[in-house]
Amino acid sequence: MNPGDPALIAADEITKTYAMEGAPVHALRGVTLDIRRGEFVAVVGPSGSGKSTFMHILGCLDRPTSGRYLLDGRDVSHLSDDELSSIRNRQIGFVFQGFNLLARTSALENVELPLLYENRMRIAPAERRRRAMAALAAVGLQDRAAHHPNQLSGGQQQRVAIARALLNDPAILLADEPTGNLDSRTSIEVMDIFQRLKDERGITIILITHEPQVAEYGSRIIRFKDGRVVSDHANTSRRAAAAELEAVALEPARDV
Amino acid sequence: MASRTTLAIALRALRRNRLQTALTIVGMAIGVGAVLTMIAIGTGAEAAIEDQIKAAGMNLIVVTAGNYKVKSTEDFGGGAVEPSARNQSDPVPDPPFEAHESRPAVLLAAYHPEDDPMEKHNHPTAKQRLGDNEAGLGSAATLTSDDAEALRGLGGVQYVAEGIHQNIHLKAGDRRWFTRLHGTDVRLPLIRRAWTFGSGRFFSSREQSRGDQVAVLGAVAAQRVFGDSNPVGREVSLWNQPFRVVGVVSTTSWMVAPAPGDDQFDAVYIPFTTVHRLLNLSKLNDITITAASTGDVTRVMAEVTKLLRQRHRITEERPDDFTVTTQARQALAKGGMRADVARAVVGNVGGLEKVTLEQLSKTLDRATRTMTALLAGIAAVSLLVGGIGIMNIMLLSVTERTREIGIRRAVGARARDVRSQFILEAVALSLAGGVIGILAGLVAARGLSQYLRWSTTISPGAVLLSVGVAAAVGIFFGWYPAKQAARLDPIQSLRYE
Repeated sequence: MNPGDPALIAADEITKTYAMEGAPVHALRGVTLDIRRGEFVAVVGPSGSGKSTFMHILGCLDRPTSGRYLLDGRDVSHLSDDELSSIRNRQIGFVFQGFNLLARTSALENVELPLLYENRMRIAPAERRRRAMAALAAVGLQDRAAHHPNQLSGGQQQRVAIARALLNDPAILLADEPTGNLDSRTSIEVMDIFQRLKDERGITIILITHEPQVAEYGSRIIRFKDGRVVSDHANTSRRAAAAELEAVALEPARDV
Repeated sequence: MASRTTLAIALRALRRNRLQTALTIVGMAIGVGAVLTMIAIGTGAEAAIEDQIKAAGMNLIVVTAGNYKVKSTEDFGGGAVEPSARNQSDPVPDPPFEAHESRPAVLLAAYHPEDDPMEKHNHPTAKQRLGDNEAGLGSAATLTSDDAEALRGLGGVQYVAEGIHQNIHLKAGDRRWFTRLHGTDVRLPLIRRAWTFGSGRFFSSREQSRGDQVAVLGAVAAQRVFGDSNPVGREVSLWNQPFRVVGVVSTTSWMVAPAPGDDQFDAVYIPFTTVHRLLNLSKLNDITITAASTGDVTRVMAEVTKLLRQRHRITEERPDDFTVTTQARQALAKGGMRADVARAVVGNVGGLEKVTLEQLSKTLDRATRTMTALLAGIAAVSLLVGGIGIMNIMLLSVTERTREIGIRRAVGARARDVRSQFILEAVALSLAGGVIGILAGLVAARGLSQYLRWSTTISPGAVLLSVGVAAAVGIFFGWYPAKQAARLDPIQSLRYE
């Protein structure tokens, strides 16, 4: 929070080139930016602008073709697949547009999934359940623990996904179009959760979206175009999800 | 590489796809069950044939009183030579005999020219039959029940039964039947392994020690004098003496079928003590011995000869006053064995007369082992099909569950975690199938022996083999799909619809 803090994420001239049927596709053409702990960054841009590729690299799902990526002071751009897996497990939480919950699996088992891949220490099954229940309670779904994804609404599914993402107390929550499949009211609920995570727990949130209105919930907005950052500014007129929810409760028909 | 957690993950994944899991397990179970059942049938057949060999008397040694031919002191092996066959096929004596100082006499011991009706009796030895020199030996009553008792103490001897044999008129009411009488020992049913008592029982040791007038009828004899009615408890007469029938003996062997005129079932059995008492006799015609193992027959024969010579105080230069033979050859030659079985044995073994019992049982063993291998081969094909079924399901799974793999990778699963999970799933499937298959195989083998009367044997080794094969199939056929799963790119997997 303090401007003097070292950046949590430091991207330095990151490029990513795919070879698609012979012709190279330049998804990222040199991205340099820092994100500090506790920021709520909204990344916007049209599809094909490179924002998803950027998120994959930040999420350690992919490695940059060139450039350097320091995560919490550690260069992770050339780590092995196993090391990246372990970073994903402990430092990064993902929330996807399609929720990506395991089908025919209870909410509780979905939430405890990251703990199953915690390799530093063995966590007893009872402890796993306890922590998963706590995470579900944090998103208000403690009474839905035994439900399977197809028995939950879209908003509830996304909250299960958020609970899963937060289970290992990650430094970063990466959300890729988290409201893409949700109606406007549920979208605000999800944004409310994000804002509270930022404000109350100091979690760094990176939200990828192509909807400018959704980006307005962030405290900083970064705009991508053709694999480059075209604008990067603090959002002083941040939308407050909590307040909007109250308003929507009064006027249920209004579309936000 | 596979922790308990990974196992838990794999089992959970299997639980999610219940139908698929169940069908795969069934496929595997059929494979393993088939293998186990086939092996059970094969080894069962092996054991059954071994049993039948013993039942047909392959481990039987018969000591007969008297010696119709004189042997030199250098015994040449139990007198296994058939005189006429030897005369025609092999006019030149075998080398060992040439060494003997008295060549014509030794030749006589091997065969006698007069045994062959086609032989012209102008042989130099024709006028000098050895039986004349050793007068009385051929019909001597030299065996006693004390001899039999002594033989019971020999190593390698399983059972010993005394024997006195006569032809006799068996009478019941107005029915008569001319048959064989065997005065014997209470242990005879243990020697005749294929015997079964259709009704009643054999006489008891108490009846034997008292010399009671009790009789056990062979099935053929019983049928002749009593028809289809149950003879047990009825009275028959032998030597005009009343005897109470206590049992009827028949056979379970498919090698020996009861028929009129055969020595075992067209016969009457009474305690030898009763014969001794009624006829005021003290000697035996023969003593029947079983060797504990079929392979041991030759050694036991030598031991028996040694002991009896000792007991009869026969000095080294004198011939035996008894004859030791094995039943196997007699059974084969007399057709006590079914014709087709005897033919199979004769056809498989060159020079049957020279064959040892060990060789004979080895031949049969080989035949059944071939059958076991054939059955196991057929079953192995079904196991292979089961394994390919697992591979198919697992490959399908990898495609179907691409998204799941992506999710797992995103939350921190390493490539090797995914690989372990898929291998463990395959192994769990095949092991579950294996265990069910083993149970099914046990039930099937049980059913086969109970309802079809096939003999089946399930050894712990066969069970272990089945489990091992099931696990190996799981690992082998699970490895490739697991590798494919681990290789998937997390980003692509997450986008996969």
